[in-house]
Amino acid sequence: MKTDLFDLTGRVAAITGGGGLLGMQHAAVIAAHGGIPVLVDVTDAREKAAGLTKTHGVPALACQCDITQPESVQQLLQTILARFGRLDILINNAANNPKMESSAEVNFSRLENFPIAQWHADIAVGLTGAHLCCQVLGSYMAQTFRECGRRGVILNVASDLAIIGPDQRIYRQPGVAEHLQPAKPVTYSVVKSGLVGLTRYLATYWAASGVRVNAVSPGGIYNGQPEEFVQKLANLIPLGRMANLDEYQGTVLYMVSDASSYMTGHNLVVDGGRTAW
Amino acid sequence: MVETFAAGPLFSLAGKTVLLTGASGFLGRTMLRALLDNGASVLAMGGSDRVEGLLAPLNQEYGAGRVQAWRVDFHDIAAVERALAEIDRQHPVVDVIVNNAHELGPRTGFNVPEGHLENATFDGWTRNMTAGVYWASLTTQRIGLGMKNRGKGSIVNISTMYALVAPSPQLYAGTDFINPPGYSASKAALLAFTRYTASFWGPFGVRANAILPGPFSNTGQNSDNSVAPDDPFLDKLKARTVLGRVGNPRELVGALLYLASDASSFTTGHAMVVDGGWTIV
Repeated sequence: MKTDLFDLTGRVAAITGGGGLLGMQHAAVIAAHGGIPVLVDVTDAREKAAGLTKTHGVPALACQCDITQPESVQQLLQTILARFGRLDILINNAANNPKMESSAEVNFSRLENFPIAQWHADIAVGLTGAHLCCQVLGSYMAQTFRECGRRGVILNVASDLAIIGPDQRIYRQPGVAEHLQPAKPVTYSVVKSGLVGLTRYLATYWAASGVRVNAVSPGGIYNGQPEEFVQKLANLIPLGRMANLDEYQGTVLYMVSDASSYMTGHNLVVDGGRTAW
Repeated sequence: MVETFAAGPLFSLAGKTVLLTGASGFLGRTMLRALLDNGASVLAMGGSDRVEGLLAPLNQEYGAGRVQAWRVDFHDIAAVERALAEIDRQHPVVDVIVNNAHELGPRTGFNVPEGHLENATFDGWTRNMTAGVYWASLTTQRIGLGMKNRGKGSIVNISTMYALVAPSPQLYAGTDFINPPGYSASKAALLAFTRYTASFWGPFGVRANAILPGPFSNTGQNSDNSVAPDDPFLDKLKARTVLGRVGNPRELVGALLYLASDASSFTTGHAMVVDGGWTIV
């Protein structure tokens, strides 16, 4: 008996933020192993889905969706079911990544200035969006799998900053007054830590339904950031570097496939060792 | 029918040499097959004659020389040192170390009165600490050093969920089973050592991670630490997990292949829990 523990043939995977940098990496590894990625994104990701279909020969789908709105997520489920008749995997990957405006007088990334509208917007996408997708898509999986005996998987994309606080010193810029120094936005730590709590909650809530729920906590991905910043961050990491863009593919495939069938409620940390020392 | 675990290229170990300790044990046997199925050559270390018995059938199945058996009494540290020196001489390039061996028997306090906290002995403690953390440190020191010098390697230490949470006395009440204190302590020490290795050798490209299995009960074989399939103790274990069942050794294969291969190239110092949710409630 041959068992490819990592095979995803025919499995449908909804990926929020699917049109983004990291979302497309998740989609690519899923498609490469026979799964059908559904790129859930607030922007139009149809061209990206077409690209996945062309490369991997699976019927990838793009669904424009505002995951902060319950009706929009309900519509998403109906679209997926109408097209494929099933849903097996949900990856909550979407997060707000705002460019924080600042002026000569005020830096809005700093806690004391952080706009309440920004707080609400970040929580809405990162936490409320994940909750709604779990509530709608996850509940569907839990219900159908209880009936047919298949298994489902939810993977929440957290961060090394769900485990440690941001080292604000690496964001500092020389020659800038103290009250204008940029900071890692507070919502980032709050959203990512919240996702780990959501992970454990749902892992126990749906255990009997055959839906496993895990988190992955990636470190920063190198994407052309300024050299000085990269060096400061690399100094905090035993492997001495940031992650490559495609370096989380193995982790994601392990987490969403049957290879991790006895793992639930876990937060798999992939941070080059940053939180180990 | 024998199960095979061939995974895709992302998890390939083709051309790599893996040192696996405890290779003929309950979990080790499945690990050994998984490594072979994905292209590795395996230096299989073990303390009993079972490890030598694996040799002929596996080399016939996978090809001559794919498995080497190294039988050594792990409590004879001088003998282990000699064996590791000889392995290093014969195989200067070892790409992966899987520290899986432990002594799960009466002398480490498993399922005997000496395994209870009140009765624990120096000998039992010493054997647990030696097996739980010192063996891993020896293979790391002697064989991992080559990885450090070459700038690449992966070390996988097999710990346990009991490195994070204590065994519950409720499990053992009214049974002859007991899980000794030295086991938990030594496997927690192994996590600390895993992080230590990740920290000090990370800059040299050597990764070190741990797998923390939950209840993977040996129900198929009569050994010092096996349990009969109809034993009520098994039901207690199942009930304590979130998934409501004990694990099958094949459910550790994915984690092992992930950590051993380049699929986990940015993962180091991590304690990867595969426990059916035991530790989250």
